[in-house]
Amino acid sequence: MDRNKQHRQVALMRQSLFDQGLLDEQFVQLEELQDDANPNFVEEVVTLFYRDSARLILNIDQALDKSPLDFAKLDSYMHQFKGSASSIGAKKVKSECTLFREYCKAGNGEGCKRTFQQLKKEYALLRKKLESYFQLARQVGPVETACRRI
Amino acid sequence: MRFKGKPIECKMELPSKIKNNEKSIQQGFSPSGNGDLISTRKFRALMVDNDPICQIIEKAILESQGVETQFVGSGIDALNLLATGASFDIIVIAWVLPMMNGVETTRQIRAMGIRCKLLAIIACFDERKKHEFLDVGVDEFIEKPLNPKKVASIMREMKNG
Repeated sequence: MDRNKQHRQVALMRQSLFDQGLLDEQFVQLEELQDDANPNFVEEVVTLFYRDSARLILNIDQALDKSPLDFAKLDSYMHQFKGSASSIGAKKVKSECTLFREYCKAGNGEGCKRTFQQLKKEYALLRKKLESYFQLARQVGPVETACRRI
Repeated sequence: MRFKGKPIECKMELPSKIKNNEKSIQQGFSPSGNGDLISTRKFRALMVDNDPICQIIEKAILESQGVETQFVGSGIDALNLLATGASFDIIVIAWVLPMMNGVETTRQIRAMGIRCKLLAIIACFDERKKHEFLDVGVDEFIEKPLNPKKVASIMREMKNG
């Protein structure tokens, strides 16, 4: 495949992440922080996010297994998780975090459990799509001019 | 000097004539006519946030705006650092911190007599937490993520202030 086609494929893949509502403007802000000194900044941050947030996911899973549920603790975990998810622009994951916290405030354990299952799905889906995107972007290499479209 | 990682050459030319003070100040030179540069001071920020992802991103955003940034992961570390005499133009404090939360940290920072700009940053907007922070002396309260445009507007305000 020629280089232009490959770049177009990368651009389309990137655009689809926004069109599907998986990413928001914050991701673009991170991309704008990349430069020659830090060409893989976004990928590194996203990798670190998935590594670091695995611990929080486990904590929440374990807390949801307990009875009675400690909603204050669950809310605190989710507050932290939302902070880092929003910092990388994970739009759908962030929405599920907000919904989870609303269920916590309402003391609705079933709602929390249901929302957390959905959150984990969105979290895993985003990871898979970003991994594919970064892999392709690395193979293709940088473009001469930036194309920013949301 | 390096800009975005690439070395660049700096060439300074002294003006042969300086017509008035305003023109020389605009050009960055002292109005005395001796060619001395007016130094443009770098702002210094202290970030108090124990989330490692937010630390990296917030630091990168601040540094992209030319702000020298130091990080601590707890309120206690922030107070200890400030007690050594370290001074900052802006302190950004998260709500969730180990041992002592952001509100209590802010209260104690203000109690030390520190009057620099204090920005509270929180993952989930909450009216009650906003008022708690404002009551103890933060100047502004924002929801994460920290945004380069917001940082630029705060820096502009501080430069003009």
